[in-house]
Amino acid sequence: MTTFGAEESFRVERAAPDVQLWKVRSLALRLVLPLALPTGILALWWAASVNGWVSPQVLPQPDWVLQTFLDLLESGDIAAAAAVSFRRIAEGFLIGASLGFLFGLLIGKSETADAYLGPTFRALAAVPSIGWLPILILLLGIEESLKIVILAKACFVPMAISTAEGARTVPKGLTEVADILKLRARTRFFKLTLPSMVPFIASGIRLSLSQAFVSLIVVEMLAGTDGLGYMMVWGRTLFQLDIVIIGMVVVGVVGFLLDWLLKQAESFVRRGSGADA
Amino acid sequence: MTALAIEHVSKSYALNGVQRPVLNDISFDVAPNEIVSIVGASGCGKSTLLRLIVGLDEDYRGSIIQGGVSDTKAAKVGMVFQDHRLYPWLTVGANVDLAFDASNLRKPERLARVHHYLQLVGLSDYEKAYPKQLSGGMAQRAAIARALAQEPDILLMDEPFGALDSILRMRLQDELLSIWEKNRVSIVIVTHDVEEALYLGNRVIVMEPDPGRIRDVFEIELARPRDRADPRLAALKQRCLATLVGREALS
Ligand SMILES: Nc1ncnc2c1ncn2[C@@H]1O[C@H](COP(=O)(O)OP(=O)(O)OP(=O)(O)O)[C@@H](O)[C@H]1O
Ligand SMILES: [Mg+2]
Repeated sequence: MTTFGAEESFRVERAAPDVQLWKVRSLALRLVLPLALPTGILALWWAASVNGWVSPQVLPQPDWVLQTFLDLLESGDIAAAAAVSFRRIAEGFLIGASLGFLFGLLIGKSETADAYLGPTFRALAAVPSIGWLPILILLLGIEESLKIVILAKACFVPMAISTAEGARTVPKGLTEVADILKLRARTRFFKLTLPSMVPFIASGIRLSLSQAFVSLIVVEMLAGTDGLGYMMVWGRTLFQLDIVIIGMVVVGVVGFLLDWLLKQAESFVRRGSGADA
Repeated sequence: MTALAIEHVSKSYALNGVQRPVLNDISFDVAPNEIVSIVGASGCGKSTLLRLIVGLDEDYRGSIIQGGVSDTKAAKVGMVFQDHRLYPWLTVGANVDLAFDASNLRKPERLARVHHYLQLVGLSDYEKAYPKQLSGGMAQRAAIARALAQEPDILLMDEPFGALDSILRMRLQDELLSIWEKNRVSIVIVTHDVEEALYLGNRVIVMEPDPGRIRDVFEIELARPRDRADPRLAALKQRCLATLVGREALS
């Protein structure tokens, strides 16, 4: 009995550090590795500006930039710009994604509709949102409506494509069950079509929002008077490159977080809908 | 009067652009309240035949006529598939409740019936569970509950008990028979298990493949409840197996 007990504790002792080491390692892999490249860039930047490899007017020192960032944060300029940008994304998304959903449902469910509308849609969708800018500026000016239309278009396309894909891939076996049980159209939609489309809708939403974010920054840079994108342009015209850099970092970080959050939400939805089971 | 009349039904599928016959000149009738078992080698077209009967596939030659309950009301045909086909995003209870969607039953009545049919297949405790939380056999039982809940006039079953262990299989066979005795329902059941076919059926149709056709029909004129150990069943089993295997021995 005693030998047995001793053996047990011996084994546990041996196993524990291994497991911990492995955990520490995987944590290191997940946290440290992604940060290695940004740290390297930061170091290079520091070296370049301190040693005067690049003129400080073009590349200000990192600590100046940090100071400007704190100033802008305190004055609320960044928050105000971000708020404007996010309101636009929200509006463009609501309009574009809901229209995209309906349109995707139409061409996904009806082969006739797809035959009529599908090719035109796909051709127009191939033109990037920014490609629409010149003609839309002529039509709409550089008012708010321009940004909303561009964003709505940016959301519409991925949402429509994902939704159509989802509507086409309702499992055949389950559709046959619906036929045999003679489900009413309403039940069929809410208990078969829609739930089976959930994973597709989730990735549609994620793609729309990432598209919208990218397009928004560009539109604000090209035809804006406020927002995060404009903040960068404004910094450049003032030769305040620190503001431009802050804009880039803020946009990059926000975009990254947005995508990460949406990915989490998407995989959560996928798990919940039983699509992977 | 017949519940189901199948006359000279032939069916072929296109395989790589060539029409390949799958069913060849199938004819048989199902009387009201009769149980017809179909046995046959894998791939001889049993599932295909059921799909034609239930109306999922209308591309065939010959005729399939369902005798309506009355002149005005068409027969209701239910089906249990080889795979359970539960909706993964609905609970077991909600899956069974789908069977009442076409009816005008009120909510409390529907709920009571869902309970009833789940109890019948021994899944009372799993009403709130999701299909992925069930074992294969339990999911199949839930699918059977869903088909029964529809209270069909003709029930088609495609190897419904294939995934179950032998004890449960026998219990459900007896459940099926007691349901069948209570409701006037005609049953066509496809199975790989000759004993099951003989125990349940008023008639056993033996099919052979390439192309799928009827080789022989056995009338089982034994009174119910039948004794599984009845020597007459054993003798029939021998004949049935000889018919099934005989063809394979030849080819
Ligand atoms: N959708 C289809 N397209 C082409 N061929 C098909 C299709 N469905 C079935 N077949 C063919 O029809 C034949 C009969 O298939 P079926 O599923 O009816 O057989 P089965 O008797 O039910 O077999 P099992 O006992 O294995 O379930 C098979 O050879 C199969 O390859
Ligand atoms: Mg089959």
